[in-house]
Amino acid sequence: MSRVPFYLKERLGTLRERVLREEWEASKLPSWERLVLTWAVLMAFWVVVSGSFIINNLALGALVTLIIAAFMRDLLTEDIRRSGNIIEKLLYFAFIYLPQYLVIMAFRLLESNLKVAKNVIFMDINPGIVKIKTDLHSDTGLTILANSITLTPGTLTLDVKKKLDETYLYVHWIDLETLNREKAGEKIKGDIEEWLKKVFW
Amino acid sequence: MAQESLLVSAFYLLVFTAMLITYRVVRGPTLPDRLVALNAITTKVVVIIAVVSVIRSEYYLVDLAIVLLMVNAVGGLILAKYMERRASYD
Amino acid sequence: MIDVILMLFGEAVMFFGALGILRFPDVYTRLHAATKCDTGGAMSIILALILIMDAPGVVRAKFLVLAFLIAMINPMVSHAIARGAYKYGVKPKVVVDMYAWDNP
Repeated sequence: MSRVPFYLKERLGTLRERVLREEWEASKLPSWERLVLTWAVLMAFWVVVSGSFIINNLALGALVTLIIAAFMRDLLTEDIRRSGNIIEKLLYFAFIYLPQYLVIMAFRLLESNLKVAKNVIFMDINPGIVKIKTDLHSDTGLTILANSITLTPGTLTLDVKKKLDETYLYVHWIDLETLNREKAGEKIKGDIEEWLKKVFW
Repeated sequence: MAQESLLVSAFYLLVFTAMLITYRVVRGPTLPDRLVALNAITTKVVVIIAVVSVIRSEYYLVDLAIVLLMVNAVGGLILAKYMERRASYD
Repeated sequence: MIDVILMLFGEAVMFFGALGILRFPDVYTRLHAATKCDTGGAMSIILALILIMDAPGVVRAKFLVLAFLIAMINPMVSHAIARGAYKYGVKPKVVVDMYAWDNP
């Protein structure tokens, strides 16, 4: 008797998941753009690591990275969502978003180093594990958000819990200030999440 | 010259720091403590290799540092997975 | 001038990270010290090396790739170790533990 509502709830859940999945699929990058992006990144890595500019070496690298990019084009660029021309996208990313992120993270890293030095000297720690909510859903965005949270002062990501359309992060905080979820999220994430929402979904 | 003495002093201080952390590797109470300390030592070894390659101006050693960093990442992930599995078996 | 400042800052941060690994009370706070101080110190030392050395630009780009890989890989291994330690059964010395409320 009590099985029917559970069953209905499960059906509704799968239906909602399918609708969300179709929306996400519709706003993907086209496949040749993904191929070109992956090829450019792999080719840059090849040139830097091999370190020689002979024409044979460059041709071999172009061939090998083209074959790898044809197989692996979903691995790196699956989660990028942005409409518009590809040149415009690349220019926006290279000249606006990436320097913003680098400047923000450089100052956060400096502050966190000084804070760890202060904590080591005075040993004034009051640790706790809190749970915060984020609005990102993709794997790449969550990875970059978790790495940035680990590098910001006083926090360390423990685990990720992904549900249908909401994601929770468990964060180990070295000096606990508040237990409220919104205030803690505001203090921990800062403006990194706002930045990430422009590129990933 | 001044910069070479700076690099050599950086080399000796990094070696001293790695030897400080060896205490935690030997005397860590649990397995994750030793893993954390080994990870920190490996990052320091990567930086030491970079410093040595600048001192002797043999720049192919940086490839060695990149490979050591990647191997360290894979090893750390495998040991972390091992800890999760072992907790579920007991 | 900038390279000397960056190099000394990196060495000091590495030293404080080692002291933190020695002094902090449990695994998670030691992970704080290890991850942040290693990443910041290694990146600042490598930037100082890029400014100091005289080499063609490809070699400097290789050092930049090394710094980027350190910044990507070190936090990733860090939270793999944190999750593994929690599943392994190391109890954290904390005031409030919301992770244990949700996974009893």
